[in-house]
Order: sequence, then C-alpha cells, then structure tokens
Amino acid sequence: MSSKESCRIELRTAIRQLSDRCLYSASKWAAEQLVGIEQDPAKFTPSNTRFQRGSSSIHRRFRTNEITSTPPTGVAYVSTPVMEEDEAIHGDFYLLAKSYFDCREYRRAAHVLRDQTGKKSVFLRCYALYLAGEKRKEEEMIELEGPLGKSDAVNRELVSLERELATLCKNNTIDPFGLYLYGLVLKEKGNENLARKVLVESVNSYPWNWSAWSELQSLCTTVDILNGLNLSNHWMKEFFLASIYQELRMHNESLSKYENLQGMFTFSNYIQAQIAKARYSLREFEQVEVIFEDLLRNDPYRVEDMDTYSNVLYTKECFSALSYLAHRVIMTDKYRPESCCIIGNYYSLKGQHEKSVVYFRRALKLNKNYLSAWTLMGHEYVEMKNTPAAVDAYRRAVDINPRDYRAWYGLGQAYEMMGMPHYALHYFRKSVFFQPIDSRLWIAMAQCYESEQLHMLEEAIKCYKRAANCNDTEAIALHRLAILHRELDQPEEAAFYYKKDLERMEAEEREGPNIVEALMFLATHYKTQKKFEEAEVYCTRLLDYTGPERETAKSLLRGMRIAQSGFPSMDVEHFHP
Amino acid sequence: MAGVVKAPGAFAITPHKVSVCILVNIYASPSQISVPFPFSSVSQHNRLGLYLLALTKSCDDILEPKLDQLINQLREIGGLLDHWLTDHVTSRLSSLSSPDDLFNFFNELRETLGGPDSGVMEDDQVILDPNSNLGMFLRRCILAFNLLTFEGICHLLTNIGIYCKEAISSCSSYELRRVDDSGNDFESLSEDENMDLNLVFKKINEEMEARKRATEQVSFHLHLPKELSTLVEDIEVSADPKSEHNDKGRESSSYASGELLRDVDPNGGVFLLTNWQIQGYLMEQADAIEKHGSSFTLNAFELTLRQLQKLAPELHRVHFLRYLNNLYHDDYFSALENLHRYFDYSAGTEGFDFVPPAGCNSFGRYEIALLCLGMMHFHFGHPKKALEVLTEAVRVSQQHSNDTCLAYTLAAMCNLLSEIGFSTTSGILGSPFSPMISVGTSLSVQQQLFVLLKGSLKRAESLKLKQLVAANHLAMAKFDLTHVQRPLLSFGPKTSMKLRTCPIIVCKELRSGYHLISEFCCEGSTMTADGAFSTAWLKNLQKPMGSLVLSQDNGSRNNYNPFLFFTQPSSIPGSVMQLVGSSYLHRATAWEIYGSAPLARANALVYATCFADASSSSDAALVHVKLIQHLAVFKGYKEAFAALKTAEEKFLCVSKSRILIMKLQLLHERALHRGHLKLAQQVCDELGVLASSVTAVDMELKTEASLRHARTLLAAKQFSQAAAVAHSLFCMCYKFNLQVESATVLLLLAEIHMKSGNAVVGLPYALASLSYCQTFNLDLLRASATLTLAELWLSLGSNHAKTALTLLHGAFPMILGHGGLELCARAYITEAKCYLSDPSFSVSKNPELVLDPLRQAADELQALEHHELMAEAFYLMAIVFDKLGQPEQREEAACSFKNHVMSLDHPHDVEDPIQSDTLLNA
Repeated sequence: MSSKESCRIELRTAIRQLSDRCLYSASKWAAEQLVGIEQDPAKFTPSNTRFQRGSSSIHRRFRTNEITSTPPTGVAYVSTPVMEEDEAIHGDFYLLAKSYFDCREYRRAAHVLRDQTGKKSVFLRCYALYLAGEKRKEEEMIELEGPLGKSDAVNRELVSLERELATLCKNNTIDPFGLYLYGLVLKEKGNENLARKVLVESVNSYPWNWSAWSELQSLCTTVDILNGLNLSNHWMKEFFLASIYQELRMHNESLSKYENLQGMFTFSNYIQAQIAKARYSLREFEQVEVIFEDLLRNDPYRVEDMDTYSNVLYTKECFSALSYLAHRVIMTDKYRPESCCIIGNYYSLKGQHEKSVVYFRRALKLNKNYLSAWTLMGHEYVEMKNTPAAVDAYRRAVDINPRDYRAWYGLGQAYEMMGMPHYALHYFRKSVFFQPIDSRLWIAMAQCYESEQLHMLEEAIKCYKRAANCNDTEAIALHRLAILHRELDQPEEAAFYYKKDLERMEAEEREGPNIVEALMFLATHYKTQKKFEEAEVYCTRLLDYTGPERETAKSLLRGMRIAQSGFPSMDVEHFHP
Repeated sequence: MAGVVKAPGAFAITPHKVSVCILVNIYASPSQISVPFPFSSVSQHNRLGLYLLALTKSCDDILEPKLDQLINQLREIGGLLDHWLTDHVTSRLSSLSSPDDLFNFFNELRETLGGPDSGVMEDDQVILDPNSNLGMFLRRCILAFNLLTFEGICHLLTNIGIYCKEAISSCSSYELRRVDDSGNDFESLSEDENMDLNLVFKKINEEMEARKRATEQVSFHLHLPKELSTLVEDIEVSADPKSEHNDKGRESSSYASGELLRDVDPNGGVFLLTNWQIQGYLMEQADAIEKHGSSFTLNAFELTLRQLQKLAPELHRVHFLRYLNNLYHDDYFSALENLHRYFDYSAGTEGFDFVPPAGCNSFGRYEIALLCLGMMHFHFGHPKKALEVLTEAVRVSQQHSNDTCLAYTLAAMCNLLSEIGFSTTSGILGSPFSPMISVGTSLSVQQQLFVLLKGSLKRAESLKLKQLVAANHLAMAKFDLTHVQRPLLSFGPKTSMKLRTCPIIVCKELRSGYHLISEFCCEGSTMTADGAFSTAWLKNLQKPMGSLVLSQDNGSRNNYNPFLFFTQPSSIPGSVMQLVGSSYLHRATAWEIYGSAPLARANALVYATCFADASSSSDAALVHVKLIQHLAVFKGYKEAFAALKTAEEKFLCVSKSRILIMKLQLLHERALHRGHLKLAQQVCDELGVLASSVTAVDMELKTEASLRHARTLLAAKQFSQAAAVAHSLFCMCYKFNLQVESATVLLLLAEIHMKSGNAVVGLPYALASLSYCQTFNLDLLRASATLTLAELWLSLGSNHAKTALTLLHGAFPMILGHGGLELCARAYITEAKCYLSDPSFSVSKNPELVLDPLRQAADELQALEHHELMAEAFYLMAIVFDKLGQPEQREEAACSFKNHVMSLDHPHDVEDPIQSDTLLNA
C-alpha cells in the first residue's frame, strides 16, 4: 500500500477537485477518509488527534489479529497521477455557476455555463442539467400519480445529455468526471453494460470519486459481473471490493477487507460503520453495539447507518438507548429515512405498532426503495395481525431485492400464521437458500414441518440438524431434535441429542425444566440399555431437583440396585415417565 | 405526459379534446349569420356538425387519434374548407403558448354555450344548447379544465406542444405521400421552396422508413397478441381511410404493432386503456393460453406483459398471466415464482371472477392460492405434492368458511385422484377430511374418491355453482362408468345388491350436465363479473367496421358506442361450452366402453363439429384420436393414416400429445398384423418411454404400453414371457383398481394360454374376463371374450365344437353389429372352424355355410393386412375346396395362403413415410 503521506496528499487534492465540481458526497467521503488516516506518532500533537482520541478504546478491544498493521504483500498498487487542472484560472463564469449550483439553482448554473468549453465547465453544466432533470422528475412523480400507481416521470434531460456526452466520449475530449456522469445517464437509460464500461474507465483514470464507485457497485449484482470488471489496482479498489462484498453477502470477505483497510485509515468513521454492518450481518450484536457507541461518541450527529444500530438495540431490547438514539437523530435531521426507521423501531419495541407503521410509511415516502423499511413494516403488520398487508409489504421488499432473506422469512411466517404451513414452506426454503447460516430460519422451517397439519417429522429433524450446526443461540434445535427422535422411537439418537443439549446447558449454566427432562430421559434410557453406571450418574443428578422426578429417580435407583444385586426386577416399569 | 391509464369514468382533458373544442367553437361560433363565416352552405355546416358529434361520442375510446389523423379526417369531410379548417386548428393550437392562453381559451368556450334558459332560440343564431351532446361535451371539458391544478395545466400545455410537433413531422410525410401519388398540391410552391422542402421531406422520409423498419423488426420478434394488434388495427382503419380496405395483411399489422409499441412506450403518444379494459384483455389472454396451451408463444406474450407491468405496476393480474404463460410452457420455477408473487400482492381478492363477492373478509383469500398451487403441481406431475397442497387448501377454506373455494378444491382433488393412480392415500388424506369422511382412513382410494365426489357435488349444488355442478356430474359419470358402487359400510345383514355398474346412472349423470347450458340460455349474463364486459366490447371491436366511415350521409362513424358495453355477443360463456362439449366426449367414451361403436362415433362427431371452437386443444386432439381409431378399426389402416396426417397438420405434434400416442398405437397394431415384430417391439418401447416420463405416471398409458408389450411377445410366440408380463400387468390393475383394464388383461391371458396350447388353463381366465365384462357392462369386450371362450372350447377337441358354435352364435349379433374388422374376421373363421371340426357336419352337403364366412373374413382382413389370420382363412378355404374336389380354386387359395405365410415370415421392409418419420423423430 502506498504510504500514508502519499495517500493523504492524493486525498487532499481529490477533495479540492471534487468539491470544485460540486460532487459533494464524493468529496465528503474522501474527506472522511483523509482524517481517518492515522497520524504518524512522530508528529503526534494533541490537537491533531483530538478528533481521533475516542476510538482508541475500541481498537484495543477488538483488534484481535494484527493483520491490520501489515499491508498485504505482492500487491502492487498503481499510482494514478493526480490530475492536473486544465483551467488554471477559474473563469469568472464558472465561479458564478458554482455559486448558483451551491444554492441548488441548477438550471441557472447551466445557463451561465452555456458557452464555456473547458472540460470542467462542460461537466458542471451537464451535471447541473442532470440534477435539474432529476429534481423535476421527482416533482412530476407526485403531480402525475396515475390511478394504477404508475408514474412515468422521466428525467427529460437524459436524452440530450446522453447525446452530448456520447459525442464528447467519441472525440476523446471527456474527463473522468464526464465519464462518471455519462455512466450515470446510461444507467438511468437502462444501458447497463455500457454504463459499467464507462464507469470502469472513469474510476481507472480517477479513482478518488467514490460516487463513481458506488454507481459501479449498484451495477454489479453478481459475483460474475464483478469478476468481469477490468479494474486497475488502486487502494480505492479495496474500498470498493469491501463494499461490494458486503452487498453480495460475502460478509467475511468484506470484513477482512475492511479490517485490512483499517490499518491505514485507522480512524475512519466510514470503515468503522461498515465493519459494524458486516458484523451485524454476521449476527455479532455485542461487538456491533460497542462499535456504534464508539462511533456516536466521535460523531454524535451521524444519521447514516444508524438504522443498523437501532436494529441492534431493538434485538437487545434496549428501550432507553433506542429512545435516546431516536431523539438524537430526530434532532439532527427529521426527514431522513433512517431517522423515521429508527423511530419506527422504537415504537415497535414499545408495542405501539400502529405508530410504528406510520413512521415506516414516512421512511418509504422519503425513499420508495428503502428495503429494510418494507421488511420492518411487514413485521409490524404481522404484529398487528394484518397478514395481507404484511404479505404485501414483504413482497415489495423481495421484489426490490430478491436476496433479502428477512422478507422471505417474513412471508413464510405470515403464511404460517394463517395456517398454511405447506404454502409457507416455499418461502422458508427461499429464505434459508439466501442465508443458510442463520439458525432461526432453519428453526422456523422445522417448526413449519412439525406443525400438526403437516407433521413431517423427518424433514423437521433435518432442518433442526442444520440449525444446530449453525450456532443456535436460543438453544431450541438440540432440544427439539431430542424430543422428535424420542417421538419417532429412536432412543439412541434421542439420547445423543439430550446429552448434547445437557452439555450445552451446563456450559452456559442454564437451569430449567429442560435439564430435568434430559436427565430423566437419559436415566431411563441407560437403564433400559442396562448401562447402569451411566444411569446412576443421571439419577443422582436428578436427586438435586425437587418434584416428582426426584421420586422417580429414587425408585429407578432402587430398581437398578435390585437388578444389579441379582434379584429379578419386579415392576420398575411402572415408573417410566 | 398523457400516458396515464385512466381510471374508469375519469374524464381527463387531453390535447385531442382541446382540438375538438376548437372545432366545436368553429362550428358554433357566436355569430349572427345562419351560416357562419367559413362555411359556404348549410350542408357543409351540418356535415361538420355530424362529424363533431361522432368525435365527441368517441372521446372515451381507447386510443385518441393524433393530430395528423384528425387532420386527415378533416380533409375527408371538409372538402373545400379543408385547408381553412386544418390551418385554423393548428394555428389555434400553436397559439396556446402559455397557461393564460389556455384559461382564455376555455373562457371563450364558455361563451359559445348558451345560457341556461336558451331553450328559446333566436332565429339566425347558432347557440349551442348546454344540454345537447356537443354542449355536454364542452361543459365536461370546461369542468375538467377547471379541476386541473396549475401543474396539471402546465402538463396539458407541454402535451399540446408534443401533439403539435408530432403532427407536423408526420403531416409532412403525409404531404409527401400525396406528392408521390398525384403531385397536384405542388403548384403553389415555388421552385426553391420546392427544393428545400424536398430535402426536408427526404430526410423525414428516411427517418420514417428507418422507424418503420425498426418497428417491423420488433414486431417480427414480438408477434403481438392478435387481439390487441387487431384492435389497434381497427382503430387505425377508422382513422386512416387510405388503408381502410387493406386486408389484414402483414404490412398493416406490423404498422399496428408498431403503433402499440409506441403507445406502450411512455415517451410516446397516448395510450388510454382503462383499467377494466386491460383486465378484460388479460382475461381473454388467459382463456387463450388455456385453450391453446403450449402453442401460445412464450416470449412474445411475456414481453407484452412486461410492458403492461411497467405501465401499471399495481395491476397484479399481469403476474397471474405470467404464471399461466409459464405454466403452459412447462417452466416450473418461473410459474411457481409468479404464482406466489401474484397471490402475495393480490391476496386472492382479485382474479377468479367466479367467486361471488359475498364473503369479503379482510383476511385475504389465500386458500385460492393454495388451490392454484395444487393444480399447478398436478399439472407438473407432482401428484403427491398437489394432494398435500390441496389438503391444506381444504383446511384453510374450511377455516375461513369459503365454501366456494372448498367446492372447487374438492373437485380438483377428485380430478387428481381419478386421473392419477394412487394405490394408497393414507398419510396424505388425513385429518382435515374427518368432517366429511367420518369413517376414517380404512377406505380404499376409490371409496374416498366416491365420498369426495359426493361431497363436492352436494356442496356445489348448495352453492349454486352451476359449472361446478356440471363438472361434478361429469366426474361422477366417469366414476360410475368404471367403478362398481359398493356400500361404504358393510355390517349387519348383507343386503342383496347387484355388483354391477349401471349405465343408466352414467347416462343420468351425463344428462344432468346438459342442464347447465339451458340454464345459461335463460339466465343470460349473470356471469359477467368485472372485466368480462370489456372483453365483450373488445370482441365487438374486432368485427369489421362499417366501411361507410366518413361518407356524407353517415356521420356516426362509431359503431361501438358505450351501449354495447352491456350487450354480449353470446350469452353462453366459453367455459360452459367447453363443459357441455366435454360431456359429449364423455358420452363417446362411455359408448366406446359399453361397446356401441356407432354411438361413440356419433358423439365424437357431434363434439368435433359443434364444440371445436370452444374446446381446448387437448380435447380437440382427443376427439380426433377417437375418430381416427374408429377408422382404423372399421376401415383399415390406409384411411386411418390418411386421417392421421390431416390431424397432425392441425395439431402441433408436441412431445407427449395424444396424437403422437395414437400414432404409435396404430403403428404397433399394423406392425403386429404385418408380422414386423421388431418394429412392433420398437414402437412398444417408445410407448413405454412415454408412459414413464418425468411428469406423473399416466396409468392409462402405462397399462397400454405393457399390454402391447405382452401382445408383441405373444406374436413372437414367447408364451411364458408374455404370460409373465400380462400377469404382472393384471396385478397392477388390481392394485390400482383399474377394473375395466383388468377384463382386457384377463382376456389376453386366456388368449396366451390358448395359443400356447394350454386351453384348459386359458378357460378360467376367459370366464373371469367374462364376469368382469358383465359387471361393467362391457358388451363388446364380452362378445370378444365369448369368442375367445368358443375358440378355447374348440381347441379342447372336436366334441366341443357344438358348445363353441352355440357360444359363438350367441355373440354374433354384438360382434357383427359393433365389432371391428378383425373381430368379425376372427368370428367368421372360428365359425368355419367349428363347422369343419364338427364330425356331424359334411362339407359337401353345405359348402357355402363354411365358404361364405371364410370369404368374408378374407375380405375384411385385406384392409388390415393381417397376414396371420388371412393365411388361416385361405388355408381353411383350400381344405374346403379340396374336400369339394375343386382343385383349381384349391390351388388359388393355397397360393394366397403361401403368399401370406411368406410375407409373414419375411416381412419386407416396406416404404412407409409415416413410420420412418416417427422413428426418426422419436
């Protein structure tokens, strides 16, 4: 990896160039990474690291493997020369246009630049036109809502923009920013292949434009497409890969990439948030919570990614923390889909599902394709017993992203609630197909098979086995497996699972009726197997508990002693549970 | 943008309506003269008035004409005023350049209307009565305009701009065409202008050509659904008088499809189908898919559906159509996916129009989803899965007390159980049936089926679902045809009961199916649920329009007025016709089984002639199969194969069609008769492959295949193997309760034993077969069993010849009346043999008694090319002639005998296009 200093220089230039072209979110991203680069200890001054201080605790806690400090060997990163500005002297018109642009007066900005021919001016003009078209499109969408929900509003600038950019591209008088815009336009027009090509060209010649990378990412929906891209090896590519791996549900790969990057960008909030998200997908909630707490300490007005945090708080049922978070984001920015989602989560946790639905609806109004809001709204409708609405919401989520296993799971649950377990199986199957490592999904599917209508116990056992293999935290699978095997009259297997269950409960120091049940079964099982020693062990353990089992254990012990001493056993069978 | 799909009843102001308003304004300009300014005569004025009336009436059409089309029409009616009118309209339209212009325009319009008390008309003044058609139209337009928001007005303005711009480009091309045609409009242009214009025209023309080519290419791939394209075409026809008399040729249809594409394209022109109309279109397509099956093109329709979905994302029925489309193209995964998607979105509350909207609970009706899913699994040949799903459907519909769905589900289950062989249903049909089957699971499949059928019928009757009742009656008839009714519980003193099927019951059931049609005749259109009337309307549009579109005396060019919405072309829906038709098919089958060939044939013919339109392609194929089989049995192979050829042309020979199966059957039989045993075995194997396909095992086909296998072995004189095959076949038939087939198999066993020389062993089989035949009233089969029995007796020795002859004579009426060529010939030969072996019979005394049947047999066998039997017949003839002392005739017969024996032993490989074809294909 190139040295920190060169990285810093690259980013500094890039930020200036990006913000000069009004690519604000890209420049924001670049700036975040810039301050995320760890300071050399030599130049360590308190004022420099003030921003970074808070993070140290978490890094100490979670940096388990020290891969971060060693850059991967054998990867030669190309150094892309920082682009020289073609217009040394900013035209006055450009300055005016940029100020108009900053005031969101896009058409005005474009108009000012109508006769300018510099690359920068051309880009800004086109970009302003594009944004003007987008703005108008969104307004029209509301104005023209048809009775069938169709809104055929389009960005009317696309056609002329495409024509102009295509000519520029053909004449080879286009800069990487122009290429980015061209890719954007092509994507919107549905010409995905060309868009990909153009965007790749853009990021290869100017890698610091994160917006271009993000567009490229949205065009890579499968691993095959990703592998087909011809990307040169810049350190920005690592960011891209990490991000796209996460999108493609390759969480472990993504996580290792991010951890690698953290070696250089130690204090980047962005990376921290992404790691949190990856860990969330891997269901490591404890760590996610710590990371987010840390992140909020450093960056208290952050709204991005906070919906993930709220999900964690929701699963951990932290009422006050969630309400605090909700309060905080609403103070920061009320009309962000994330904010609405967090509030929705809070109400859902409080059991006020109607209100929660209102907020999810608002989130969806702000962003129609906000996936998790659809899914979460589905959950709320399930809670409200409005299954058709839930099904509808889930289905929309699935149609936006067919790989969203939560929505598939929700669909399955909804149908199971309606007493259609066989129909629900289809959805559970889909869900486990996309997320085979989640034990809850397997358990849900198993319960479906187990339902009295289907009663397909063999299949249920198979599902529970899968669940038990993937870290079943709630410890349902082993117990159910044991019971099912007992019901199917397979005592050997039942004993095996009871034993395993028992071991696990001991390891986790749990108490409860399950232990007694397991002990009871094992005692009687070994007794009938004539393995009196084992049976005795379990019987003695049973003596520690109160209740009828204790008496049974006593009599079992008595029976065994009689049997061992050679007397014919009388009627021990009476005491079988 | 105007590409918004209108809500029913919404009256949106569009550029077209604005231009109509302009015309109305011209027509009724508030002036004092009786004939206002531009018009030179009253008739001219009136003509415009009539035209405007027509225009206003058609303003709820699916498609609004573009400006150039309007201009063309104006040209037709305007006569001398043509230029003035078009100029006025276009200039007025293009003068509308700001929202305020629009406001002013509509204010002006208001002045055209008379006051509310303008009933008293002043002389010489044209004032539009607000209650007249035109007045109403104007008022509606003004109202619609006033309801618009400012944004709406802006959109209207931009739309008018597009409307004019499009017209200008295409208008010039129209001019160009005129130039090409006659060149008479040319004089007014000076040379220079001419040049310039020519250039422009050329350019435009090229563009148009390119566009046309593009659309042609697209339409080539697209192969648009006929209905919609013709629909568009019709509108084109009425709008463009030039192409009015075109045939529905390739050119116009490609143009039309281009038109549709443009309409679907959101950037294009105006596409105003209402929700109802699209629903109607979709329903019609659904019918078409179900009718034509896989001959419907998959991708083209998929494309249309995708476009529709883009236009109307909330129209979920598109998903259902996709499901159907995938279903009939055997795409399991997409079908499954789309089915789930459809029901997830619609919650079962749209579609399925036959469900009365009474039980509208808010929980959705997902049981219908289950019903569909079950039927899908059935279609894809997963009977067990289907049964599981249907079981769930039963439970859920009971839970939601959706009796209609329950009835349909039960019917579907009956269908499943009767179509697909289950040896046992235990474990599948379980608890949910306890309310219906209180007896428990100790019943056999057939008994369960019977109970289900009864329950389903009762339910359907109480719910007054006529079609379902009829379908159930048919299913009942089918059941009665092949099953003996036994009491479900047999305890207590055994009541005396005859263990027979009862043809009368079958007839009764079939007959009650017909009541359906009469009920529909008198009740008319109770079936019209949503969308149905739109379909009717669409159909109406497809009829050729009156060609007097724009003639002077006929101003109302629109035959399709809104009133046609409520009249239906036929009061009997297609599905009912299909049901009634299938009852004829059932009849034909019943008669086939009972052994009345003429009646079977008659019923099949009735079906083929009367219900061909309404029938699905598989039913139509079935009836053809029946007729061809009839031909083969009664007229010989030549005719049968000729008929087969026409049938093959008519039906696409898909992999597992009935036609293909029948072809194999025919080939097999002919090969057996000719003695091509290798070929016979090959064909037989092919049949076997068809029977054991990946889709569910077709029991009927399976028995057929192994029956033929046994026959082939028998013909090859491998008796023990043949007997083994037949035996295992019988076991299977017994297991799956295929009793009619059992009778046939038993008869075959008897024949095998007879041919192997074990007549004594054969006798019990023949007798068993006879008793089966009696039980099921299989009269023809019974006659043939009697014949075999006679043959068996005969082969026991000459002292049994008398018994054999009596038996034979008893069966003769049936055999001669209804039997096929082979059966008759066999009967004749056996008769002759009986006489010959009877020691008390002397040939010389009564030679014709023997010779006559033999000659007849030989004649009949000629058509079948049945060498073995022919040889036997000639052999017997030769013996008789020998005994009679007629050496010449004896030599002749002996020669024929030799020929047939030779060809039997050395089957020469005859040219046979059909057969070589099949083997290549297979």
